[in-house]
Amino acid sequence: MPISEVHQGRTYPATAPLRVTRERIRHFAAALSDADNPAYAGPDPIAPPTFAVVLSSAAWGAMFEDPDLGLSLSRTVHVDQRFTWQRPLRDGDEVTAVLTIERVRPRGATAIIGISVELQTTAGEPLCTATSTLMHTSEESA
Amino acid sequence: MTTSIEPGQELPGFSHVFTRADLVRYAEASGDDNPIHLDDEKAAELGLPGVIAHGMLTMGTALRVVTDWIGDPARVVSYQVRFTKPVVVDPLTGAEVSFGGRVTAVNDGIAKVSLEATCAGVKVLGAAVAEVRLD
Repeated sequence: MPISEVHQGRTYPATAPLRVTRERIRHFAAALSDADNPAYAGPDPIAPPTFAVVLSSAAWGAMFEDPDLGLSLSRTVHVDQRFTWQRPLRDGDEVTAVLTIERVRPRGATAIIGISVELQTTAGEPLCTATSTLMHTSEESA
Repeated sequence: MTTSIEPGQELPGFSHVFTRADLVRYAEASGDDNPIHLDDEKAAELGLPGVIAHGMLTMGTALRVVTDWIGDPARVVSYQVRFTKPVVVDPLTGAEVSFGGRVTAVNDGIAKVSLEATCAGVKVLGAAVAEVRLD
């Protein structure tokens, strides 16, 4: 059975904790050609804001592996993305992410899927909410 | 920071030429190794003319308009975009994307900045808005 409204509200277990390190911060800033911002270096670096995608996309894994939904990443288009931060992620944070399917709008072979991912430290401190709209096309129509 | 930030203020923009090497580097740093960003054949299977930049790379790069201006990235409290058009990255010449931004509102110490990203005159991000704490 393909993804439908009945899957709204489904939540997956938290991702394995990821440790934010100065190495990861440096690599991510360099990948944005933004290594010159002093906030991303020095003794107490923070991560570039969109570093949160490392966690949020890791959380997508559980949904794409859910056999009930029949989803495939290769038939998925990322329509929009939003982040809200309680505070920046910083060197030393141990972070997990929990994905919830917020809404599903099937339209024939295509489904519009709204998801939210909550990032928090392993101590339970909320860090960031990442919400996305995905457009998925089921295999039968491909 | 609170002095003289008004709606309508234009922020300094910049342009960046995304290369295939940028995509490899972003794939490694972000963990997004979807082959449509790395492999022309896989991109062609989806009807694309060639590999495309990660939407999140374009989103993250556009935010530099805000963070270069405000200085401290910790001031960014929210950021959203729509991915309206793919950025096709030529193997030799890359893809030049121009970024800019404008303050659209200032309320309760939060400035709302509307961002633009265009490639060959086409908007590649839509409804791109960042909110920044000014206090």
